[in-house]
Amino acid sequence: MPRGQKSKLRAREKRRQARCEIQALKEAQATAAAAGESPSACALSGGRSAAVTPRRPQGAASSTSADAALSGTDSDEGARSQDEGSPRSSKGSEVSHRDPLNKKVVLLVQFLLQKYQKREPISKADMLKFAIKKYRHQFNEILKRASEHMELAFGLDLKEVDPIRHCYTLVNKLDLTDGSMHEDENMPKTGLLMIVLGVIFMKGNCAPEEEVWEVLNMMGVYAERKHFIYGEPKKVITQDLVQLQYLQYRQVADSDPPRFEFLWGQRAYAETSKMRVLEFLAKIHDTVPSAFPSWYEEALRDEEERARARAAARARTAAMASARARALASSFSHPK
Amino acid sequence: MEEGRAERRRRTEAPSHTQGGPRRAGVMTDVHRRFLQLLMTHGVLEEWDVRRLQKHCYRVHDRTAAVEELEDFINNINSVLESLYIEIKKGATEDDGRPVYALVNLATTSVSKMASDFAENELDLFRKALELIIDSETGFASSTNILNLVDQLKGKKMRKKEAEQVLQKFVQNKWLIEKEGEFTLHSRAILEMEQYIRETYPDAVKICNICHSLLIQGQSCETCGIRMHLPCVAKYFQSNSEPRCPHCNDYWPHEIPVFDPEKEREAGTSRATKRSLRSRQH
Repeated sequence: MPRGQKSKLRAREKRRQARCEIQALKEAQATAAAAGESPSACALSGGRSAAVTPRRPQGAASSTSADAALSGTDSDEGARSQDEGSPRSSKGSEVSHRDPLNKKVVLLVQFLLQKYQKREPISKADMLKFAIKKYRHQFNEILKRASEHMELAFGLDLKEVDPIRHCYTLVNKLDLTDGSMHEDENMPKTGLLMIVLGVIFMKGNCAPEEEVWEVLNMMGVYAERKHFIYGEPKKVITQDLVQLQYLQYRQVADSDPPRFEFLWGQRAYAETSKMRVLEFLAKIHDTVPSAFPSWYEEALRDEEERARARAAARARTAAMASARARALASSFSHPK
Repeated sequence: MEEGRAERRRRTEAPSHTQGGPRRAGVMTDVHRRFLQLLMTHGVLEEWDVRRLQKHCYRVHDRTAAVEELEDFINNINSVLESLYIEIKKGATEDDGRPVYALVNLATTSVSKMASDFAENELDLFRKALELIIDSETGFASSTNILNLVDQLKGKKMRKKEAEQVLQKFVQNKWLIEKEGEFTLHSRAILEMEQYIRETYPDAVKICNICHSLLIQGQSCETCGIRMHLPCVAKYFQSNSEPRCPHCNDYWPHEIPVFDPEKEREAGTSRATKRSLRSRQH
């Protein structure tokens, strides 16, 4: 329903306030000489906007004042870190004035969110280049604060996967509630499998071999042709992935001449989900999962099923644990 | 009104004390986090979809809990996102007033969300289209006019054929809407870029006289020139047999659209009404 007038006025006031604070932040940033906004923020404003011109000469001159400002915030940092879980208020624009790091944390969070959505790995170099820039010496602090925000607000865990090359990834904590779905670690990073799983899903969870090849052919993958990434595609999907239990490959009942069909293997069910596969397919088609309503419905139901199963499993483990505890307790209190 | 209560509640939760703490920020659970993740994936969602998503998140993460009222649920999340200059913003489609929601960045003065998905010349094409749309009377820019600007783009040279495909990419990603060869802004773009547009085009930008938000499509008074969104017109002149301009009191010359929010999914019927309306506006 359309919003009431008062509610809109209040919202507008809040927006205006937010804008003023952002203006204050920008001024703080300019004086602290973090010269130039991130390239992504400047993307469209190059032509007309007056607000966002990099001021490099100023930057060099006042970098000392920036350092002074930063060392000044160290004591603030100590005090603030005691309120561990408290997100920094945007209402406190005076706080942001004194803490130019905050702006970088915000930028880094936005950068990480973009990387997460594109399922791309995150390198320290990229983070420095697009978000942190002049504050590279505060990288660890900024990263730590950004990770806290990512975890608290989005349930995403920033993990370093390569300590030598400083590569990170974002793991969805919400799927790992009881450690049963470490999909990204175990699942072979083969788009081929995801596509085959997708075809199977879209054909009602059982796909005739011809239809699988139809789709693969459209992507330049052929049964009789060696592929520069996948090697022998036919062997991969009818033997290797079957052996690894990601796929099932069986003859269609009473087919003569024999025809074959694919189904999901039990390992696929364990390590991924219909929703993940649908997300993958949506990405390829530059759209979103809900653009395929009937499959989206099925994927949602699958998610709920899994959640129920996880809850039941947790309940069972809890019940067993308490039964064992009770047995132990009774054997101590009633020595035989 | 319910909304007033929620707004007031949120304000009393805002800190007057310096010490931080969970009470101030509202409580984020996995339900809220999953909701955020999925909303982020979709970019923009209509209200019925948002409600379904909310219920789904409860079912997956907390079956026993009562489903919080949507407005409170969202305000809760927004209070945690405040410090990140991100918020779940609610808007409405300009053609028939369906409520939509998107996760928007507040702290940018331009369109950083698009910047990571498109090349420099593609972004410039979007900017050219945006300018044409804002400058136009109807809120639509024709494909021809946009493509004629292809030579002026920054970055790598783009051919017209390529530009046509880029425009389609914008449509797929819900930045633009196409209607009969003309382009206007998707409600997602309006939600995400309102601030940027108001700051960048302060002279050309149009504002609705009723809701004071950015206006791309709407009706205008032929006497004094004020403008209103179609859904704002519908609401303002509801069951008024002699509609008059709220500013100059002259007779309102356009047909008053009628929207039934319950039938929001029957896009077919509303589209038919829209087509006949559009020819009579401006």
